Amino acid sequence: MVSVMFFIISGLMIGAAFGFVLQRGRFCVNSAFREVLFQDYTMIRAYLLAVAVTMIGANLIEDLGWLGNSGELYRQAFVPYANVIGGFIFGMGIVLAGGCGSGILYRVGEGNLAYVLAVCGFFFGIVITKFGILRPVYDWMVAPERAVFIGADEDVVPTLYNVLGVNKWVVIAVVAAPIFYFVLKGKPFKKAKKGLSWSAAGLLVGVVAVAAFWASDYFSGRARGLSFTGPVREFFLGVFFGNSWFGGDVPAKEAMSLFGITFSWSSLYVLAVPIGAYLSGKILNEVKLKVPPADELLKVFLGGAIMGIGAQIGGGCNIGHSLTGVSTLAVSSWVANAFIILGNWTMVYFLLIRPMRDMDLAV
Amino acid sequence: MSVKTATPDQTLDTLGRVCPYPLLLTKKALEKLGSGQTIKVLCDAPASAEDSIPRYAEKQGYSFEAVKLDDKGYWELYIKKS
Repeated sequence: MVSVMFFIISGLMIGAAFGFVLQRGRFCVNSAFREVLFQDYTMIRAYLLAVAVTMIGANLIEDLGWLGNSGELYRQAFVPYANVIGGFIFGMGIVLAGGCGSGILYRVGEGNLAYVLAVCGFFFGIVITKFGILRPVYDWMVAPERAVFIGADEDVVPTLYNVLGVNKWVVIAVVAAPIFYFVLKGKPFKKAKKGLSWSAAGLLVGVVAVAAFWASDYFSGRARGLSFTGPVREFFLGVFFGNSWFGGDVPAKEAMSLFGITFSWSSLYVLAVPIGAYLSGKILNEVKLKVPPADELLKVFLGGAIMGIGAQIGGGCNIGHSLTGVSTLAVSSWVANAFIILGNWTMVYFLLIRPMRDMDLAV
Repeated sequence: MSVKTATPDQTLDTLGRVCPYPLLLTKKALEKLGSGQTIKVLCDAPASAEDSIPRYAEKQGYSFEAVKLDDKGYWELYIKKS
């Protein structure tokens, strides 16, 4: 019973901490990628700082042997078609939905009804892809014969360092050094007028992401870290059918059963992200129920669904791939992230840049 | 000098709009205004009101003032085009 309590509390705490930091720091990966096109680099600096902190922290706890249950960070298999196409679709979806996998969840806590619909759309997209009408496409793309492995026995998940044949820390240094240079150019020590400065937000997002790696290993036996696609699916399947792994096998270590209801550890932090954001927003007096115009509600639902389809195919969202996965140096996440960014820019062009230009207005 | 005015040249309502529309609509409206004119933007998206719109105004060199209406749960943003 005690272990069940810790299982629940740790999941909720990680989620609440993440939601709190996201709201306080207005951290949004969607805007980070988008604003690069408008020559605003503030949010991309915050994102890159979070990546550098997570990458160093996560690999450090791995090498220090602190991931006692699984012994290593969970690195996703490389399924090129799925990572490329899914990533691109997801990147387009986040522009329509007005927020990314984590963004739509934490903004639910700020009270905008649009994001409740975005989350519903996200789950809708995930379910039709994994179980429904898009399943044939999904199954084809992620089939084992389309996964790329390396090593003599072809059973090693490709990472940047094993593909290049160098020490992991060499890759980390090469990635992190320019990030820190770029971050320092953005005046990271300037205080924010309210809430967190972008640099504090990036740093804290990284700290929570590293803590999530440790906690997911400790409490659920797999150093899965923060992600939102699988966990959102697991949360709703748990709510709807009483089992986070409805329709599949339950991985015993990752599951918690209470009164016959089976939940994954990760689904608990999904529940807590809006709660943490609500608490932060409440303190700043920024929580209010808001309803956008009807056309925007529709667009946001559609955007959420596109995100869900892309994320399920591609194996992750802007947190699962772009923060957590990229930090593990798995090739799958680096490829997916590149295509998330390309998808984002493509949609920004068609949805925001071109319409503005057609009206003869510079953005 | 205060930018806040009871008689702005234009009032723009972005209430309920999701990111990034408050910023884009503000930019669009500002393009149409002449220099010296002031726009009042109603905005309830925290990230837009406190972050992206002020940052845009600062970058353009426009005078900016935000008034948070705690009882109503949104911001009135005043931007004067220079």
